[in-house]
Formats: sequence, C-alpha cells, structure tokens
Amino acid sequence: MAALTTKKARILVFSTEKISDPAIDMAGLLKLHYPPSVYTISLPCSSSVKPRWIIHAFENGFDGVFIAADGSDCPYGESCTEKTAQIVRKTQEIMKAQQIEPAKLRMAAICSVCSEAFVKQMKSFHAYLLTQQTIAL
Amino acid sequence: MTTQPEKLNFDVLIIGGGIAGIEAAINIANNGFKVILAEKDLTIGGKMLLLSKVFPTLDCSACITTPKISEADRHPNITIFTNTEITSIEKQDATYFKANLVKHTRFVEEEDCTGCQLCEEACPVVVPDQYQYGMVGRKAAYIPFNIASPRVATIDIDNCILCGACEKACPTHCINFMQADKNYRLIVKSVIVATGFKLFDATKIQRYQYGTAKNIINAMQMERLLAPTRPYNHVIRPGDGRVPDKIAYVLCTGSRDFTVGNPICSQICCMYSLKQAQLLMGALPMADVTIYYISIRSFGKGFEEFYEQAKSMGINFVKGKIGNITEKENGNLILRYEDVASGRLKESEHDLVVLSVGVVPNEDASSLFGDAEWKQDAFHFPLQKDLLFNPSLSNINGIFMAGTTTGPMDIPDAILSAGAASMEAIQYIQKTAL
Amino acid sequence: MKQKIGVYICHCGGNISDYVDVEKVRQAVIDEPGVALVENTMFACADSNQKKMLDDIKQQQLDGVVVASCSPKLHQPTFQSVVERAGLNKYNYIHANIREQVSWPHSDDKAGATAKAIQLVKAAIAKVRLAESIEPMQIETEQAVLVVGAGIAGMKAAIALAKTGTQVYLIEREHFIGGRIAQWDVLCTTDETGKELVTRLYNEVKACKNIVLFTGAEMIENHGSKGNFKISIRIKPRYIQKHCNDGRLQKAIEVCPVEIEDEFNFNITKRKAIYHNFPSEYPHAAVIDMEHCTRCGECLKICDQINLDQEEERLELKVGSILVATGFDPYEPVEGEFGYQAFDNVVTLPQFKRLVANSEHKLYWKGKRVRNIGYIYCVGSRQTNGDNKYCSRYCCTSTIYAAIKAGEKIKDLNHFHFTRGIRTYGKQEVLYHEASLQGQLFFQSPDDDLPKVETKNSKTIIKVNDLLSLNHSIETEVDLVVLVTGMVPRHNNTVSEILKIPKGRDHFFNEIHMKLRPVETVIDGVSIAGCCQGPKNVVESINSALSAAIKCYSLVSQSHLQVEPIVAGVDEQLCEWCGLCADSCPFDAIHMSQTPAKQTALVNEAVCKGCGMCLPVCPTNAIQLNTYSDPEIESMIQTLASDL
Repeated sequence: MAALTTKKARILVFSTEKISDPAIDMAGLLKLHYPPSVYTISLPCSSSVKPRWIIHAFENGFDGVFIAADGSDCPYGESCTEKTAQIVRKTQEIMKAQQIEPAKLRMAAICSVCSEAFVKQMKSFHAYLLTQQTIAL
Repeated sequence: MTTQPEKLNFDVLIIGGGIAGIEAAINIANNGFKVILAEKDLTIGGKMLLLSKVFPTLDCSACITTPKISEADRHPNITIFTNTEITSIEKQDATYFKANLVKHTRFVEEEDCTGCQLCEEACPVVVPDQYQYGMVGRKAAYIPFNIASPRVATIDIDNCILCGACEKACPTHCINFMQADKNYRLIVKSVIVATGFKLFDATKIQRYQYGTAKNIINAMQMERLLAPTRPYNHVIRPGDGRVPDKIAYVLCTGSRDFTVGNPICSQICCMYSLKQAQLLMGALPMADVTIYYISIRSFGKGFEEFYEQAKSMGINFVKGKIGNITEKENGNLILRYEDVASGRLKESEHDLVVLSVGVVPNEDASSLFGDAEWKQDAFHFPLQKDLLFNPSLSNINGIFMAGTTTGPMDIPDAILSAGAASMEAIQYIQKTAL
Repeated sequence: MKQKIGVYICHCGGNISDYVDVEKVRQAVIDEPGVALVENTMFACADSNQKKMLDDIKQQQLDGVVVASCSPKLHQPTFQSVVERAGLNKYNYIHANIREQVSWPHSDDKAGATAKAIQLVKAAIAKVRLAESIEPMQIETEQAVLVVGAGIAGMKAAIALAKTGTQVYLIEREHFIGGRIAQWDVLCTTDETGKELVTRLYNEVKACKNIVLFTGAEMIENHGSKGNFKISIRIKPRYIQKHCNDGRLQKAIEVCPVEIEDEFNFNITKRKAIYHNFPSEYPHAAVIDMEHCTRCGECLKICDQINLDQEEERLELKVGSILVATGFDPYEPVEGEFGYQAFDNVVTLPQFKRLVANSEHKLYWKGKRVRNIGYIYCVGSRQTNGDNKYCSRYCCTSTIYAAIKAGEKIKDLNHFHFTRGIRTYGKQEVLYHEASLQGQLFFQSPDDDLPKVETKNSKTIIKVNDLLSLNHSIETEVDLVVLVTGMVPRHNNTVSEILKIPKGRDHFFNEIHMKLRPVETVIDGVSIAGCCQGPKNVVESINSALSAAIKCYSLVSQSHLQVEPIVAGVDEQLCEWCGLCADSCPFDAIHMSQTPAKQTALVNEAVCKGCGMCLPVCPTNAIQLNTYSDPEIESMIQTLASDL
C-alpha cells in the first residue's frame, strides 16, 4: 500500500570509503538530484559485500540493492572488479532460488569523481524498480 | 598594520604543494619529522589535480590525487599553508635555515568556512576562471574548484566591488574584509624545493596564432575540457561552441626548438597527447584526430604499448613539423607542414587545434636565497650539483629539489624524485643533529 | 550494548537545516534504544560545540556518540578526536552524512530529505550501539633492512638507510659489487665512468659501520612478513680464505690452465678459473669459479690461502623490511638477429662499451681496424614479432653518448645510426643535436621494415629503407655492427618467487600503482628499486633507490609499527579450512593454521589491510571484519529499511 501511494522504491547502496563515497558526496555537492529513498552503507571495498547482507536487505523490504564497485580504481588491487562481479553472480543465484528477481541487484563501477554516473544509475534503477512494483501489484 | 611575524619551527620546509611536494611531505612526516608545506596557490594538488586522466593507465587523475591530498591534510606532522609565499631563505650554519613567509589573506576565516558556496552564489562579479584556463568565468568570491584542498572560499579582492553580498549570505560569518596578510618567521633544518614547472607560453610562437585564432587551445585547456571537474559538459571548441570533428595535435610546441630558447625535449607531451587523443576518440567517436609529430617518444613503462593502442584506435599520425597555422573565416584552421613521408609541403584543415606545449622551468624560487647563489644549468633549471650520485641536491647544501623543479618528468618520475629528496633531507637532518 | 548514546544533529548554518527538518529528526530519534541525549547544533564542528560534546561525554558518561553532519571525509576525524579527548575509544563514534548525501542532493524534496536523514541517524545509532572499543595494534619491528643487490641502486639505498642509523644487510649474488654500472664505461651526462661511480658508492658503503655486505650471497627462503621478515641466505665460498698477496695472486692466475669467456667483458675477452673482474674490483678479493675449476691444484702450490674445499655458509637475517634492487640483463640477441653470431663483426652495445673502454687511440675488432660503425637500435625492444613490446628507455641516449665518447677517444670513426625514431627525452635531447652537428648520420626505418645486415664480397652492409629520405633504400658499408640491445628482466631471479613479488606483462617486477606508488609492491614491507621494476637510466635508478629506501625506513624507523586494527578475524569453531579466503586475499595475509583439533584459517593481522575480500567467499561465514561485522551491517540494513 505504502509503495503505491508514495511511489518510491528503496535502494540500498553498498559504496566504498575511498572510491565511490567521494563520488556520491560530490553528487550532493553539485546538487545533482536522485531519489531520497537511496541509502548508502559504506565498506572498505566492494569485494567485501556478503551475499547474506544483500539477501537481508531484500528480506527487510529493500526493493533493490546497488553495488557501487571500485572497479579498476580499487586500492586493494586489480582483482577487485572480478571479485565483485563474482559476488553479484553468486547472490543472483541465491536470489533466483528465493524467487527474487535477479535484476533487483545491480552493480556498476563508480570512480571517485563519477557523480553523474552514480546519479544516472540511481535514477534508472529507481525507475526500473517502480515498474517492478506495478507488475507485482 | 604591521605585526610581529609569528615564529615557527619545523624540521623541513617544502616549497610547493604539487604532487611532488605532497609526496615528499608524507615521506618525511611518516618518519616522525615535522614538515611545513607552503603553497602559493589557493589549493594544494598542483597541476596533477587539474588533469583529466593519466597515461598509460587512464586512471582518473583527480581520483588518485585526492587520497594523497587527504593523507597530507590529515597528517599530524604536516602543516599546510596555502596562499603563501616565501619571501626569503637564509642558510644560518650547517644546522638550520631561516625563512620568511607571508600567508596572504583570503578575507575568509579558513577554520569557519564550511565550503557551502553561498557566497559564490551571492557574488555579482564574474571574471575568467584561472583554474579552467580562462575558458569559463568564476565569481570574485569563490572556491577554486570542487576538489580543492582546503575547500574554502576566497575573496578575489582585485576584482571585488565590496558590495557585501557575500558577507550577508555567509551562514558562518566567516568573511572578514579586515583580515590582513600574516607574516611568519620559520626556523627549519632543511628545505625541499618542489615548485614544479611552467607551461610553455604558446603566444611566443606567433606563426601558430595561439591567442589570436579562436579555435587553437593548449593541451592544458584540453585537459580541462576532458577532466571530471570540466568547465562544460562536452568537448567543444571555444570559438563558437561547436563540437569539433577534425582535431589536430601539434607536438613539440616550444620544445626541441632553439628558436624559442628551449632545445630540450619536454618528455611528457607525446604521452599526454596520445592520452588526450584516446580520450577524444571515446568522447567524440565520430571525430578525426591527427597528431603531427617529429618522433613519438613513448619510452616509459607501458608507454610503447599505449602508443600501439593509440595507433590501433585509428588516430592518425603524420610525421612532420608544423610551419604555420592560419585561421579561416569559419574559425577552421589551415596547418602548413612539411610531410616527411612525401617530402612535400602540405596543407590540411582542422576545426580545432591543440598545441602540445612543453615544460619550461619555474624560476620563481631563484631569487629567494639571498647571498647563497642559486645556480642553474644551461636550460635554466636549478643545478643538480652531483647529478648521478645525488640527483636531488641543489648547489646549496641542505636544500634539495623534488619533481619537475629540476627538469621535465612524468608523474612517476616526479614521485621517485620526491622520494629521493625526502630521503636526502632526512639524512641531512640527522647528520646535522649529530 | 551501549546504554548512553549522545547524538548531535548539525544545521550547518542552513546547509542542512534549510532542507532537512532537524527538529523533526531530533524528535524521531530521541526514543531510540540506548539514546541518552539528542542535541541540535548550528555548527557541530565549531569549537563551542566540540567543547560541549566533551563536557557531555564526561558529565553524562556517554558510551557512544553519533554526529549527523557533513561527509565523514571532512569531519569524522574531528569528532573521533573529540571522543578520544573525552576518554572514549574512537571506534565508539559513528558519523552520519546528512549534508552531501541528504540535504544537498535532495534539496528538491524536503520531506524526503528529512525522512532519509532520520533513517541515516537511526542506522548510525544502531551501529554505535554495537560498537566496540578497538585498540590500534602494535607489532614489534626488527629495525633493520635487507637490501638485495649491490648495484648502484642497492648501494645507494643501503647508504641512505645506514645514514639514518638503520642496520642494513646488503646482499649481492655475484662475488663483486657494482652490478651493470661497473661494466659500463663513461656515463652520461657527467663523464664520470661507471667504475668511478661504483667506487664512490663502495667507499661510502664501507664507511658505514652499520652496513653488513655479503657477496656471493643469495636469498633462499623467507618466513615472516612486514616488520618481521626472517630471510635465509646462502653464501657461496670464494675458495680463497684471506687476502692473497697481489703478486702471488697474479702468479696463481697465470698458472691456472683453465681459460673461459669473461662475462664481465660480455665474453669479448677470456679469463681464468681463478679471477677477478678488473684490477680494482670490489671487494678487492679474487674468486675461484668452481664451475670451471678442474681442481688441478696448480694455484694451491703458489698461495696457501686457497682452499678448494671451503664450504658454503647459511645465515638467517631478521629484518623489518626488504628493498629489492636486482637489476636487469642486457637483451641477448638470438642467433642470426641482425647478423648476430652469423657474422663475426656484430656486437652488442654492452660489448661495444667494453671494447671502447679497453681501447686507446685506435679501435680494433678481431684484429681488424674499425672506422665505420653502424648502430642498429631497438634490438630486443619494441618488437613487433617478439614478446618485448616495451621501449628500453635508456638505449637511444646511451648509444648516442657512447658514439660521441668513442669519437673523442678514437679520432677516425664514422657513426651511422639506424633508428626507429630517436628518443633522447628531456635534457638528453642536446646530445642528439650534438651528434648530428658532428656529422653522425641518422636513418629511420619503418616499424615493419627493419634494417638488414648482409655481407657482400666479404664486406658488411646495412640496408635500410629510410623514412627520413622518402623511403629511399640505402646501403651502408660498416666495419662493425653494434646492436643496441635493450633491457630484459634478470634471468633466474628467484627473489620474486621467494617474496611473491608480482610481475607485469613485460616480466619486470610490478609496483603497486604505476603512477603514485612506483616503488612499493603488494607485499607489505617489500619495495623495489632500479631496473628490476623496468628500464631506467642512472639518475632514475638512484631516485627510485632513495624512494624505496624511504618507504623501507618508514617501516623500521620506530621500534613498533602501528597497524590499523580494522582487520579480518576467523571464528575457529565455524572455520572448516577450505583455503578460499587465502586465495581471495590480495596480500597473502591468510594461511592455514594447524591446531590440535583441526585446521583453520589464520589471519596475519600485521599484513591484513582490512579490505574484506575474504568475507564473501567463506562458505561457512566464519570470517568477520572489525567494525563491519554481520550484526553491525545487518542492524544498519534493518534500521534503514524500517521507514514503512
């Protein structure tokens, strides 16, 4: 009911302290708008996201989860891109098994000045999640 | 209103807060020594902070610089003075130097400014923005750019009309038109000069029409057009805001050129031009990019591979020195050059020309040292007294040099040279302490 | 669980409060479990508020603190320091970012912004409720550095470190120090010879009492990590015990019946099985090359200091950090490459340098007078067909300088340079200009049409299609062909395997970040200097050596290393050792540990950087990262989701 009246989809973003956080902060600085139902939890590295945390988010009512990945900028080494992708693949398997639409988990590399990219991602992900709500209703 | 200078003691004074100065400061501070980093500009980070991406990794330059900047900023052993000039340095004896500094006023209480930019919004004055190399305007009350450090406002008093709008808008009341310059007297044990380089002023080559033809820019302006903190959201030519589709690079502008008094190779221009050309291919997939060169010098780690990559992306390479450039009525440019492949004089038309300007010495520090003569080499860079054995040593014992102070170099070489200067400074301090 | 949490919500002079109803936020969180106090403040970072926080923490005995204000990048350290000054551990402080991530990006939606701010503050409270005090870890450090390789880079680094008072062990695999520069003649651009530079460095090494130099010494094993490396080294015997008097030694060398090619002179001369490199090599002590010695005993008859049964020694060195400066090998052309080994007047640049160093007035090669020299560039570099795609950086300048210097020493030489575009970068450019002015000739071949070396009527001809003269085919008759060979990584360099230093596409050692961290490696405590990282000239090598030295010094300048306490920890009960965590760790911080009961993973806290890459791979969820544990993250998620 709430989702229908407020028309919002809640997104949990896992961001990273050294790379994507600065970009998300700068989006604010530049007054670039994105939906306020986007919440961020920052971690040291995008390859440290546990699948169970993502599942926990869906179980508690988040509509989507977005990993703002370090990509090739990761301060902990080149393997990060592949490892984050692996986490996404693994989690999407679990999501399928639990009948959660795998597309509700997204990932994109957000470098430390990729503010515009972040906002674009949030807007399109939010729009997508809203269409999912309508379908569900 | 003259006040007694405040007296301060440090182990090392570092002049210049570019990437070399920052690296040297962190190196020294990490070993328990107290450092003062003095920067003439409003922000530290130097030229690197203004670049788009770096070769050959194509890392975003600002992204990799900002962590170093915050490390220096946070370091308990590093004191950063921006907007500060050194007025003199005197060697006292084998153990210490006296230096005089003036920290120019910003007319803003730095500690209280939250960087909210409300003053900027309120200010009615618009002047060319030096951080965007004049391509757009800024206010008289302004923050240099979003990732400046410190990210605090300044009143450009030369252009301020004293309307008081900023004062009214500031929520923390940190604007103070009574704020005066502050003088400091420093006692330090060693000095590192990391004052960097200057870009060759392309107006000196009149036949290239830089500054008169509208659609000729220098490579630093192109960096800005491509950078994350760029002035426009697109690569456009300044003359009419059109998106260019036939871009030329003129390598060795002001380098390897006796006629402008700079016979040496600037060592970075080939690579930054290859990088910009690659970024342009990404930003403007339909555009045609041609690089006019004498010889491509992709000599560093991963550089040759980067050059090969540029060739495979379809960037055109023409071996030939540009003789002159003329502007057409529609703002396009005609490049006249000697085509080495055919041995003929040729002409080609481009709608944007980028001059790959070289590195020239920054001689600002040369007058600081009073009686102790600051010697230079044949190219007006400071003399490296013992080049092979101790490359960072100047001709004055206890004064070391880091980064492009001593000659053209790329970022990793500047980092290495900063490491050398900091290691030498630490040894010098410890030796004199004995 | 925290009982007395203090929460401060910042207006930021309107930057937050213009868009977020801060009073509403205060009301919304005041009844959260554990919260003892909620204050709104105009500027949380102002001195007055910091003082108030300090007083509140002390007077009300707060056990956790949250400030909701600007980005933690700006003021988290400020507030951490406030709680520390009040006597709380800084990990009991949690920051909520309601400016950059709330009021500013959502300035278009005040209700939405306020709702988000409430959730973020609640989540911060949820996290601080579970927060625990963690003390920074201290690891005791061996205040000594091991420098591997006594070329110019290794020696320079060793001297610099020693001058700071650090104990230095300098090990060199060869019996003589000086590396490649000892073999080089005049160096650009100071006219100092390689021998002179090496002499200056060696004299300083000897003058530093805290440098222990081992020659003939090779690293064979490593146990340990940053702060505490335990390195085993093997020292090859010289088979000559003490000093053999010079006259007798000379005689011993004379009687030695074995004659082999002298590697020091790149095989252009011969030496005996008992030998020294050159009359004043360092250390000044001869060696018997046991690989070639026939144990005939002739030398024993002359010098009683010779002992053919001397045994190798093993030592263990304890150091806090390691500086690797193992250098490069000159590229060895394959047979037939530009006539190498096919024609007897084709030499490499290092051989040419030795030849000129050992010549006076006139140049002879294999008994024949040399007047015309053809230099073929980029041999072993910039290969279109081979593996070495990179440019070797030093060779253009070095060759031009060698030609100029050879010309000064030997008057009647003509120089022909067959290049692929001269790369005398920086100030070195003037040498190119000088050589051109002297009448040295430069040709440039296309990348896909390299020069050819042929013989015609017992004359050696270099054929090139010259880009600089309209692709005309040019034939030049030369007496000597010099192949300008590039740099390749040292062969059989076992150090990288022992220390696990990664290599790049070019097979040189890889730094952690190409631009900003050029001497550090992913292996904490191990730095790389000189040409083992990639081709460099002398100045660049010295700079990199000193850079690596200061990085090593930072690790050993104090007796204890402070290590960030945010590290991974393994729950032994849950762990079923499968090794996935160890595989995922980019820093080699996780190893198997055998307890009486079972095998489990063990995190080396000194090496762990707290990236958390091991967390998601564990099949039994046995790894937690400090301050990012499941309870902390999951309670934040739950709280953030609770705004229905």
